[in-house]
Amino acid sequence: MTAKARATTPLSAMPEVPRTIGTLEVRSKVRDGLSCLDDLRCSGAMRALFPRMEKRLEAIMINTSGGLTSGDRLSVTACAGQASHLTLTTQAAERAYRAEGRPAKVCTDLVVEPGACLQWLPQEMIVFDHCALDRQLKIELAPSAKLLMVEPIVFGRSAMGETVETGHFSDRIEIRRDGIPLYMDSLLLSGAIRAQLASKATAHDAKAMTSLVYVAPDAEAQLNPVRAHLPQTAGASLLSNDVLVLRILATDSFELRKSLVPVLDLLSQCTLPKSWRL
Amino acid sequence: MVGRIRMNMGLQRTMTIDAKLLTLIQWLSPSYPIGAFSWSHGLEAAVAEGWMSNTTELEDWLRALLTHGSLRNDAIFVALAHRARANEIAELNETSKAYAASKERLREAERQGAAFAKITRNIWDLALPDLQMPVALGLAGQLAGIKPIDLIAIYTHGFCSNLVSAAQRLMKLGQSNAQKVLANLNVECLALAEDAVEAELSDIHSIAFFSDIAAMHHETVPQRIFQS
Repeated sequence: MTAKARATTPLSAMPEVPRTIGTLEVRSKVRDGLSCLDDLRCSGAMRALFPRMEKRLEAIMINTSGGLTSGDRLSVTACAGQASHLTLTTQAAERAYRAEGRPAKVCTDLVVEPGACLQWLPQEMIVFDHCALDRQLKIELAPSAKLLMVEPIVFGRSAMGETVETGHFSDRIEIRRDGIPLYMDSLLLSGAIRAQLASKATAHDAKAMTSLVYVAPDAEAQLNPVRAHLPQTAGASLLSNDVLVLRILATDSFELRKSLVPVLDLLSQCTLPKSWRL
Repeated sequence: MVGRIRMNMGLQRTMTIDAKLLTLIQWLSPSYPIGAFSWSHGLEAAVAEGWMSNTTELEDWLRALLTHGSLRNDAIFVALAHRARANEIAELNETSKAYAASKERLREAERQGAAFAKITRNIWDLALPDLQMPVALGLAGQLAGIKPIDLIAIYTHGFCSNLVSAAQRLMKLGQSNAQKVLANLNVECLALAEDAVEAELSDIHSIAFFSDIAAMHHETVPQRIFQS
C-alpha cells in the first residue's frame, strides 16, 4: 500500500496488525542411547528452555508476550524423532485475556515417530471474561508411538473473584494414528459462556476442566489405578486396549490439580516437569 | 417422491404423503430390532450419582445433549453421511468413532449401527455396510432417497423418546410428565435438524462434559439394567 493510499484509507478498513507472533519448532532424536535436541527454531514471542535431564528431553515453552489477546498468532511444531522421548510443558499457566477484535490463534502440530514417546503437558489455559481464542492441537502418531497428552482449562481465576460471563473460545484436539482418527475432541464456548457451563449435563458451574489421553501398551493396566485417584466429578475409560481417556471437572484449578497431578505422576512414571510443582 | 397406492376399488390414487416417511418411521420406531431400549447413554449412571432426579432435570439434561452435546454431534454425522460420497464413508465412520467419549458410547453406536445395517440391507436391499449408528442411518437415508431434514428430526426425536423411556425405568416419572418432557423438546429437535443439514465436520463440538463423565461412570455402576 502506498503512503498516499494509506492516508486516504479509513482506519476501520486497515488490515489489523497482529499483536504478537511466535513460532517454536522442536525436534528430538536419540544419540548414544539418550534423547537429545535434534533441531530447534524459535521466532517472535516463543522461546524454549531445556532443563538438564538424564535420558529424556524436556522443553519448557515460553510465550514472552505474557498472554494472548486479539490477533495473536502462536504456533508450536514438535516431533519426537524415532525412539526418542520428548516432553513439552509451559513455564506457567497461559492466559487468554479480554479481546475485542478477532480471536487469538494457537496452533500446535505434534508428530511422534516409531518407537518414540511424546508427553504434551502444558499447564492451565486460563480463560478470562470476554476472551477470544481459537486453538487447535493436531497429533500424528506412528503405530508404535506412545503419547501422554493433557490440556487443562480454567474459566476465570475464582480465587481472584473472577468469573467468565461471555467470550469466544474454540478448542479442537485431533489425534490420528497411522493416518486414522484415534481421538477427537472439540469444544466451542461462544456468547453466554457462564450460562452454557451451568447446566448439570455440561459443567454444572465447574470452573476447571481437563481432558487427558494416554496411548501406550499398558493403558488397560493403568485404568483402575487412574480411577483410584479420581473424584466423583471425573471419569476415565478405555477406548481400546492401548487408549485411555480421562475427563476431570473441578470447582477451580487448585481442586483440579489435586486429582490431575497424581494421575500425571502415575502415567508419566514420575517425570512430570518441575514447572508443574512451582 | 409421492407414493401411489392401489385402493380397494381398483382405482389408483395419488397420496399427498411422502411414502418414504413410513420407511423412515419404521427404521426409527422402538420395534425396529436394533436394541435401542437397552442403552441409556449414561442416564443410568447420572441417576445413580444423583445428578438427575426429576422431570425438570431430565428435560434440561436432554436439552443439553441436543444443543451442546453428543446428540447434536450425532445429528451432524447423520447429515454428513447422507451427503458423503461412497469413498468418504469409511473415514467419516472412523471420525465418528474417534469422537466417542467412552468405551460404552463407542459400543452403543457400534452395536446399534451394526444391527440397523443388517436388518435394513436385508429388507430394502441396500448396499449398507456395518457402521456406527449415525453414519449407518445417514447412508441408509441417502441410498433410500429420504430427505435429510426428516431423517434427522425423527432420529433425534426417537433418541430422546428412547432416553425418556429409559428415565421412566430409572426414576419416578409419571407418564404425563414423561410425555411432556418429550413434547417440550420438539422445538430443539426441529431446530437441530435444520442446523445439522447444513453443518460441516468443523461444526462438531461438545461441552456436555458431565454427560460424558456419566457415560464413563456407568462402566463401574454395580447393578445395571442398561448396557450404557
